[in-house]
Amino acid sequence: MRRHDSARRTILLAATLALAAAGCSSSGSSSTASGTGSTPAGGSSSSAGAATVDTSSCGSKPGVQATGTPIPLGAIATNQPGTSFTDIPNMAKAYFDCVNANGGINGHPIKLYIATEQTNPAQIAADAKQLVQTDKVVGIVGSTSIIECSINSSYWQKLGFYVIDSGIAPECYSTPNSAAVNMGPRYSSDGAVQYALAQHVSKVVFDQANVPGTGYIAAGPNALAKAASTPIVDLTENVPITDANSVAIKEVNDAGPGGAVILNFTPPQALVILQAAQKLGLENRVKLWGCSTPCNTDFLATSLGSKWNGKLFVNAELAPPDDTNTPSMNLYKAILKQYGSSVQGGIGSFSQMGFTEAEIAVHALQSITGPYTVQSVNAAFKAVKDFDTGQLCQLWTYGAYPLHIPNNSDWTVTPKDGKMTTAQGCTLISKVDPQIAQYRNVAGTAANAPA
Amino acid sequence: MPPWANFEPFIVSGLALGGVYALSGVGLVVLYRATGVLYLAFGAIGALGALIAWSLTTRAGAPGWAGWLACVAVAGAVTLGYGLLFGPALAKRDPLIKAVATIGLTLILYGVMDLLWTTSGGQARSLTLPTDNGGFTVAQIQVTWTQVIALAAGVVLTVGTGAFLRFTKLGTAMRAMANDRDITATLGVPVRRVEAAAWLGCGILGGVAGLLLADLVALDATTLTFLVISSLAAVLIARLRSITVTFVAAIVIGLLHDLLTPIASLTSYRDMTPFVIAAIGLLVLSRHQVMTQSREEA
Amino acid sequence: MSGTVRATLERASPARIARRPTRPQLIRASVTTVLLLFAFFALPELLSLYYIDTMTQVAVYSMVTLALGLLVGRVGLFSLGQAAVLAIGAWAAARLLFATTQPYPLVLLEAGLITMVAGLLIGLPALRLRGLYLALITLMLAGGITVVLATVNFPNGGHGFLGYNGSLLHIPPIRRPSIAASDPAYYRFSVIIAIVMFALVLAHIKTKPGRAWAAIRQSEAAALAAGINIWFYKLWAFALASFITGVAGGVLAGAIHYLYSINFPTQDSITLLAVTLMGGVFSLWGAVVAGILYQFLPALLNNWGVSADWLIILFGLGVLQVLTTAPAGLADQVPRDLRRLGHLLGTLIRRFRRGPGGDGA
Repeated sequence: MRRHDSARRTILLAATLALAAAGCSSSGSSSTASGTGSTPAGGSSSSAGAATVDTSSCGSKPGVQATGTPIPLGAIATNQPGTSFTDIPNMAKAYFDCVNANGGINGHPIKLYIATEQTNPAQIAADAKQLVQTDKVVGIVGSTSIIECSINSSYWQKLGFYVIDSGIAPECYSTPNSAAVNMGPRYSSDGAVQYALAQHVSKVVFDQANVPGTGYIAAGPNALAKAASTPIVDLTENVPITDANSVAIKEVNDAGPGGAVILNFTPPQALVILQAAQKLGLENRVKLWGCSTPCNTDFLATSLGSKWNGKLFVNAELAPPDDTNTPSMNLYKAILKQYGSSVQGGIGSFSQMGFTEAEIAVHALQSITGPYTVQSVNAAFKAVKDFDTGQLCQLWTYGAYPLHIPNNSDWTVTPKDGKMTTAQGCTLISKVDPQIAQYRNVAGTAANAPA
Repeated sequence: MPPWANFEPFIVSGLALGGVYALSGVGLVVLYRATGVLYLAFGAIGALGALIAWSLTTRAGAPGWAGWLACVAVAGAVTLGYGLLFGPALAKRDPLIKAVATIGLTLILYGVMDLLWTTSGGQARSLTLPTDNGGFTVAQIQVTWTQVIALAAGVVLTVGTGAFLRFTKLGTAMRAMANDRDITATLGVPVRRVEAAAWLGCGILGGVAGLLLADLVALDATTLTFLVISSLAAVLIARLRSITVTFVAAIVIGLLHDLLTPIASLTSYRDMTPFVIAAIGLLVLSRHQVMTQSREEA
Repeated sequence: MSGTVRATLERASPARIARRPTRPQLIRASVTTVLLLFAFFALPELLSLYYIDTMTQVAVYSMVTLALGLLVGRVGLFSLGQAAVLAIGAWAAARLLFATTQPYPLVLLEAGLITMVAGLLIGLPALRLRGLYLALITLMLAGGITVVLATVNFPNGGHGFLGYNGSLLHIPPIRRPSIAASDPAYYRFSVIIAIVMFALVLAHIKTKPGRAWAAIRQSEAAALAAGINIWFYKLWAFALASFITGVAGGVLAGAIHYLYSINFPTQDSITLLAVTLMGGVFSLWGAVVAGILYQFLPALLNNWGVSADWLIILFGLGVLQVLTTAPAGLADQVPRDLRRLGHLLGTLIRRFRRGPGGDGA
């Protein structure tokens, strides 16, 4: 018996050490997977243009490696089982790698410190302090987190950081120190609801995941529906959803035959609801299904199948990669291919956001003459005005405003044979949403980017 | 209170949900009767198998049946491995300790699944079985054959394994071993073989359930692994003993959960249904006695 | 028989026996004091703010694992619902902190008492269940509480009993005590509270409740025969554990400033049990080890860029290890292994000194 005990103990100890060793050796790339789930479905098509694009156009001196003192930047991203946003800062890092290989910023390479968190407020606050005090970052670019903006916004304000992020929490859009490249759940849901209202639906059912901020998010669609004199029902579901059937039946019952069901969920949860609706035979029982921007992935289009062609209308905050053949889009695809090995979702809105944030940061940094300090870098970020990112409807501006919603115009896409295709071009989000009205009062309405 | 017509479709979906809970719950009780272990890793092992089946069929292009075979084989192998490695060491311990040990296995599997099948980049996976394509209509909603199969599997498990455990030699040997391993060994029962058979059976059951649940609920490691918590409600009401009571309790819980959906004031609390019913049920059942799960009652 | 046993128990109380502390006890006490002083004074100076915030979390969760270890190790009651109890404590503290201007220690006391009442309400009917049933019913209750929390949410400065306003554009942070507003100061504050809680448990263990719990864990039948009121002492254990966890919830509220229901999922109760077992349920140091495993290791791994999944796998392996080979956990096993290592090194050194000819090689 004792022999078996010690044998078992040795096995367990060995296994633990092996795992620890493997874990340590995988440091630096927090969520690399091996093979099975990582290649994207529709990633390889429409990259014919990308194969011939020279990525060196990302930097100012093609082919020249940057060797000066690094410019440290930081990002905080959620990475926990079920929710992982690391693709966004990883793509920003890929862009920075490209720039570093082609001249850097006046010869200085950019070093991006990515801190991951598991939606733990203490950890998120600690991550911010780590970035500032230990890693000595001079700017924050690429943060994407369910609650980071809420936790750290007063810290960034105190230190004078003007963050460029992909927002989710209310504070990403309602404070002076954060400007996002995306629209976030509220304004993206606005876009989806707006499209539905434009199709003259008789009722709107707005269903969202029960994560922080549901009241804030629902306020936008409610304002839009009220202005259009259309009744609206607000629902929330606990995630992860274990009983999608009842969710789908409830939504369809509440919407009625002339109504619309608009979803605001992460792709796996939205997929579960839509598939349940299809298996129950309910997809034709409402006039229209809509979804906020997280649904805008080819994964979803492929998994849904042809029954949803032209039936589901997804709000898209960023230019549809498959339908756009511009230098910027081709550069994005090329950089993703050459430098984006740690970006697991491939072509899609996550990596597009990372690309856009990095693009803006580099554009701002290149305007700095003199040392790269917290003051100079964040002043440069704040001074970005009417920048054509090539990925958004409008020109992007930071500015010295009390709130920031610089991306407030969107496309609508619909799945077609495994891909998301454009159903409607750039449309401004209505200023019936009071926050949009407030932003346009101080910042005006940005012009659309040249096509 | 909404009109009756609103409740009708929820009866159908409630039965489907009940079938899901029944599949998990009956599986847990069957395993408990056969091995003496409350196998809390049941959901995780099914999720692992389902994800492997998904990878084989969508990534490697293998035919559907090959994925299912792999799912069941992996689930069986991992469970057998666990049983052979840790079964004997824990055989003499309290059922509570044995159950907590399976929590250890659950955590290991959960971590491995999230590493290998990441949800980064907005990836959404789904597993569809060919039986999803056919069905019939009840109360204006479609019922797929998969849902029927899940419910039928629950019934078959209930009736079949109950009979197996009671009337066959192997089944009786399993029950004896779950009760007291040492005495069973002295009676001349080949304990190692019976034990292996019990664990392998567990694993295969978990794999099959995993495929069905991945289709019916979601192909997501977190959802499937912790679905077992809600299924425990039915298991608890049956006091880990009666497979039939587990089945019936699971159906009732599923029905009640979905029937609360159209009631606006209660709908956000409907996910509490399994927990509330389990708590009430246990407290009612134990009001005259102290309930303790000793080895003699297995 | 029972009279003799009870008389023995009473005779053994410290008031009756004049005992001088033994040398190992003195050494242990001085080591503990030195470590505590180091943790209180020196640690905040040496660590970066990132790790100071992490150590505050270690202090908070050490209290939670202390309470859980008390239930599991001293009384033999496995609770799979500790995260839910922590959430109740945090909720109560947050509500009081937003609604009143009471001093912080008073709020902590009140949060602890509210949680204690909740714990007793749960414990009272649940105590008719034993072993696996008790563990599973606590899991069910935790699941129910989690769903309720997801719907009512944590207070965020709103009005009404629930104190939640869903449409706020900017949520106010939960306040901290005025003397402990900065992160290092709040760390010291949480260490003090933790020391008080540990002292509370120590006082219980060394006196009558501790002996009663030990008797109950050994054999309920024998304890009953010895005249110990099992229900009363089990309830006392539940009450104490809930109180401590409630206070920990209050400290947590001030530490992280913002509370979300998604931070208290049912799975956390399972992980808490895993780390408590790994740390060791039979010693108070085990609770500290468990706190370090639960909060410090993830922070360390995050810093090194290692995925949190490896930690989940480690915890699973740890549970299996503890249950099969080392029931007393790391707190017991590591000193034992170190001692064994020390013996081994001693033997090797002696053999080396003797020279190669000395051992017949």
